[in-house]
Amino acid sequence: MTAAVEISDVTKRFGDVVAVDNIDLTIADGEFFAMLGPSGCGKTTTLRMIAGLDFPTEGSLKIFGDEVGTLPPNKRPVNTVFQNYALFPHMSVLDNVSFGLRMQKVDKATAAARAKESIELVQLGGYEKRRPNQLSGGQQQRVALARALVNEPKVLLLDEPLGALDLKLRQEMQGELKSLQRDLGVSFVFVTHDQEEALTMSDRIAVMNEGKLLQVGSPEEIYERPANRFVADFIGQTNLIEGTVADETTIVLTNGARVAAPSDHAAGTAVALSLRPERATLTPAGAVEAADGRTSVDGVIAGVTYLGNALVYDVALDWMTIEVREENRPAGDRPSPGDRVAVSWTTSDASVVV
Amino acid sequence: MMPKRKSRVGKGPGITTYVLLLLVAVLSFFPYYWMFVVASNDTSVINEVPPRLVPGDRFMENVRTVFNNVPFGRALLNSAIVASLAALAQTFFSALAGYAFSKIQFKGRNVLFVIIIATMMVPLQLGVVPQFLLISRLGWVNDLRALIVPGTVSAFGVFWMRQAIDAAVPDELIQAARVDGAGTFRTFRSIVVPSIRPQASVLALFAFMFMWNDFFWPLIVLNKQDAFTVQVALRQVQEQAYVTDYAIQMAGTIVGTVPLFIVFLIFGKQIVGGIMEGALKG
Repeated sequence: MTAAVEISDVTKRFGDVVAVDNIDLTIADGEFFAMLGPSGCGKTTTLRMIAGLDFPTEGSLKIFGDEVGTLPPNKRPVNTVFQNYALFPHMSVLDNVSFGLRMQKVDKATAAARAKESIELVQLGGYEKRRPNQLSGGQQQRVALARALVNEPKVLLLDEPLGALDLKLRQEMQGELKSLQRDLGVSFVFVTHDQEEALTMSDRIAVMNEGKLLQVGSPEEIYERPANRFVADFIGQTNLIEGTVADETTIVLTNGARVAAPSDHAAGTAVALSLRPERATLTPAGAVEAADGRTSVDGVIAGVTYLGNALVYDVALDWMTIEVREENRPAGDRPSPGDRVAVSWTTSDASVVV
Repeated sequence: MMPKRKSRVGKGPGITTYVLLLLVAVLSFFPYYWMFVVASNDTSVINEVPPRLVPGDRFMENVRTVFNNVPFGRALLNSAIVASLAALAQTFFSALAGYAFSKIQFKGRNVLFVIIIATMMVPLQLGVVPQFLLISRLGWVNDLRALIVPGTVSAFGVFWMRQAIDAAVPDELIQAARVDGAGTFRTFRSIVVPSIRPQASVLALFAFMFMWNDFFWPLIVLNKQDAFTVQVALRQVQEQAYVTDYAIQMAGTIVGTVPLFIVFLIFGKQIVGGIMEGALKG
């Protein structure tokens, strides 16, 4: 695996504020990589450091093996698509796209030809003479992409590229970005606070919070095996059932129930069991045998939310309420509020987080 | 009440608004008209009660007197040179400084900006003596450079352009240019200037008007007729020392105002054009 971007022990401070706190990260060549986290988590700052728009306070940042340190943006084999597109409003689409080439002193005819190719690539052929304000949001987004791609970057950086688009257009662009990345074979590093977008599009995801890198992994790893409470809660929906580690294979829940949950935390550590709503199963109370290898807790249906293809049940346990999501089933066949039920799961369905 | 208001919106301004606007327009225009009435008669009409409201037939004669008494053509040229060069330079340098204050991070940026703003509070008269000493040491007394050089930048201009750049040029635009390899000055020229053209035109217009109308400073540094600007020449236009010939002075004033009108017409169009094309989406 060739590393496109290698970030080692990088810290970025703005005055007293630590925006990025000692992170290590490697992004492979040809990878679709997402940086995910809430506002202010340091993901955009990390992207800007790769872009050369900000420089690390400490640590090393390499792009294809070369230390880039304080190299200006245009001397790096990267290009950036900005959140609000940042198209030059007084220039035509063609001039916007060829601007970078002209800065590199590429002659006018060649620059125009290459810009046209790039415009075709994002399916905007015929729009060369338009001004940005004559384009829709989606089209402006494509121009921004074409402008970044025309410089043939080895790593393309995208800062919340779909944030300003409406849902339908966003989903359409997600697919297009993904296939564009596959066709071009260059690394795409994109920043988003939308976990669904990150899960759909990326090969790997880095989850950040408060300047720290919490977990890096494939969408599946991140979703199924969250490294901690924050990741479990931030990615998708989850139930965090509080407890304490009893031994290597067991935790004791708040109500005193001992449940099977392997973890490598020391006995006595306060932990939570992260259980995805769709991984829990509802059965009438008492129907689950311990011999089935399932963990079960009893509760009462407190509410049902109808989602069309699914139903979400709020199940009140003695000490907390948890959510269970099931496929929709006929009205007569589903539990209703007040029914006593058992919520059960297998050991591998839940993970222990700190 | 409400429906009535609504229909008013649909119809546009009512008759009262038009009458009021017309009144204000007439009041604003009247001094210019009366200036022409005086300029086209002799100076005695200024004391007539009731005042005369009909133009006379001596306008051209009075204008001729103006040109005979002082080198007024030369003064017009001098004013044009001073006002255009200073307006151009002031717009350019103010935009550069405004760009730096708005988009470039450097140590002491805010302190420096406050100092610049603070200079606006210092009355012009306070700086006249040191400025005159400086100009005279440079040997620029009776030289147009004495007017142009101090006019090449103004605190107001810097403030104005900084505000304009803050509002019209998002940081991302500057960064996008940097990513594409444009240097600081190239970014200024290719990205910032086209985005702030309307505001720059307004500043150029203000600067031109200020320089054209300036009387105090030119009066101090210019004392040879050949170097006079319009405003100074107008002061010297009468033959007799103790009697003011208002007719001649008004004739000169009219001639001296025409170039301002022309400049205003040209720039006015550019401002509107600039706003039409500027439309920046954030």
